[in-house]
Amino acid sequence: MIKKIFTAVFLFLFATTTQAEIIVIGNLKNNLQSLNFIQVEDIFMGRSRSLPNGRIALPIDQATLRPEFYQKLIARPLEQINAYWARIMFTGQASPPTIVADDNAVITIVNENKDAVGYIDRKNLDHRVRILLILN
Amino acid sequence: MKIKNYSVLFLLGSLPVASGIAMAENSLSSWSFKGFGTLAATGTDSNKIGFYRDKSQTQDVRSEWGLTSDSRLGLQVDKKFSDSFQATVQWVARDHAGSFAEQNLDWAFLRWRIQDDVNIRLGRLGADAFLLSDYRNVGYAYPWMRPPHEFYSNIPYYHFDGADITKKFSLSEGYLSVKVYGGYSFNQLPTQSGLNNQKSPTTGISLRYENDRWQARLGYNYATVTSEAPIQDLLTAINNPLLAQVYPDLRQLIPAIMMRGKEYHFGSVGVVYDDGVWLTQMEAAYTASNTLWSPTRVTSYLSLGRRFSTVTLYSLLGIAKTFQHNVTIPSPLVASPALLGIQQRLDQALNNNGINEQSVSLGTRWDFHENMALKTQWSHYWLGNNGPQQWQQSSGNITPNNVNVMSVGIDFIF
Repeated sequence: MIKKIFTAVFLFLFATTTQAEIIVIGNLKNNLQSLNFIQVEDIFMGRSRSLPNGRIALPIDQATLRPEFYQKLIARPLEQINAYWARIMFTGQASPPTIVADDNAVITIVNENKDAVGYIDRKNLDHRVRILLILN
Repeated sequence: MKIKNYSVLFLLGSLPVASGIAMAENSLSSWSFKGFGTLAATGTDSNKIGFYRDKSQTQDVRSEWGLTSDSRLGLQVDKKFSDSFQATVQWVARDHAGSFAEQNLDWAFLRWRIQDDVNIRLGRLGADAFLLSDYRNVGYAYPWMRPPHEFYSNIPYYHFDGADITKKFSLSEGYLSVKVYGGYSFNQLPTQSGLNNQKSPTTGISLRYENDRWQARLGYNYATVTSEAPIQDLLTAINNPLLAQVYPDLRQLIPAIMMRGKEYHFGSVGVVYDDGVWLTQMEAAYTASNTLWSPTRVTSYLSLGRRFSTVTLYSLLGIAKTFQHNVTIPSPLVASPALLGIQQRLDQALNNNGINEQSVSLGTRWDFHENMALKTQWSHYWLGNNGPQQWQQSSGNITPNNVNVMSVGIDFIF
C-alpha cells in the first residue's frame, strides 16, 4: 500500500514537472488587464467572444500546447474538444481558434493584433505581450 | 442513381487533395475551407425489408451491405468580411432523391452579427427543429453511427430558404439561446407514388441552454404544404365521370389524398448530459399532422454512453409510433385489373404510412487518430403491424417482426 502511494506521489511529481506553466496573453495596446477563468473558457469555446471592454476577441490556439491547455481549462481531452467544434463550426455558429505552430508564432500574432488572445508556456514570455491569466 | 453513388465515392477519393488545400491556408486568412465525412458500410439480416437512414434516400440496404446509407462527404467554405459579416456555404454529397447538386446544398447564408449576442442569418439555412437537426451529417460530432432512426428518419428536412435571428443570454454559468426562424422549404422526397417535390413554408422557435455539461432544448415548428403529392394521374382518374359509373364513392377520398394545404406541428424536448466520461442524451417529439401521408406520431430515444480513454461504449433505445385510422378504400363494381390497380394504389398511398418501431442498439466509437473516429453499431429493430413507413417494403409483403442492422465506418473532419 505504502509502495503504491509512493509510486503515485512520484508519478504526480514527475507529471507536474514535465507540464508547462501555461499563461494566457494579450496585446499591450488593448487596455484589458486580465481575464478570469470563465472568460477565457467562453472565448476559446466560442460561447462568447466579447472581451470585458466590449471588443471582440481573436483567440489563437498553440498546436503543441493545445491538449494541455484544454485539459487545464475544461478538463477534456482533445478528441472531445474537436468533436465539440465539429458541432459548432458545421452548424455555422462560430469558428474555432486559429491554430499556430509554437509560442513564438502566438506572441507574434498577439503582438500584431490588438484583440488577439493566446496562450504560451511561461518560460517563453517576453515583453511584447501582457499576461491576462495564469492557468494552473 | 448509379451516377450519384459514384459521385460520392469520387468525392471521398479526392479528400487528400482537399486536405492539402486546408493545410496551405494562411493562418489568419479570411477564407476558411473545411469538411467532414463518413465512410461506412451498412447491412441487415433480412431481404424482406430495406433499411433507410432517412426518408430522403433513394437506396435502401438489405443483407447485401451497401456504402450509400451512411457514407457522406461535406465541404464548407466560410468567408469572413468583417467582425460582423460572414458568409458560409456547406454542401454534402450523399444519397438524396431529386437534384444531387441542389438538394445537397444545406447552407448558403450570410451572417450578420449585430452585437456579440445577436445574430441574423439570411439565405439557405439548416433546419433546426430538433437537437441534431443541423448537424445530422456530421457523424464525428456525435457518438452513434447515425442519428437515432426512430426519431430522425421521418424528418428528412435538412434546409430551408429564409432567415433566422438568435439572441444569447448569459444564464447561470451557461448560455440560453433563443432562435426564431422562418422561410420556405423545398424538399425532394421519394414516395411509393414517385418523387414528391414538397414545398412548404415553415416557421419555428427554439430555446437552447448550454453549459459545460448540459444542453437542453425546447422547440416548436410549424409547416404547411403548398404542393401536391405525385398522384396527378390518380386524381385525374378519380375525377373522370366515366370511372364513377364503375367505381363510385372514390371522390369522397379526395380530401384525404390531397397533400396541399395540410399542416404539421412539431414539438420537441431534448436533454444532453456529458461530463467527459458519462454521456447521456434523450429527446422526445410529438408531431401532429392532418395528413395520412405522414400521420400524427410520437417518437423518442434515450442513449447512455461511457468513455474509456479514447473508446466510447454506448447504448441507444428508440421508439416511434403513429396514431392513425386506416381509410377504407371502397371496391370497384367491376373487378377489372385496371380498377383493382387504382384500389391498390390508393390503399398503398393512404394506409401504408404508419410506423410502429422500437429498437435497441449497442455501439463503439474509437477516436483512434486526431479528427478521426472508428465506429461500429449493431441495432435490433422490432417492427409492428402498423406499416413500415420508415423502411422500404414492396406492396403485399408481410413486415418482418425483427431486423438486425449492422454497420462499421470511419468519421472524420478536416
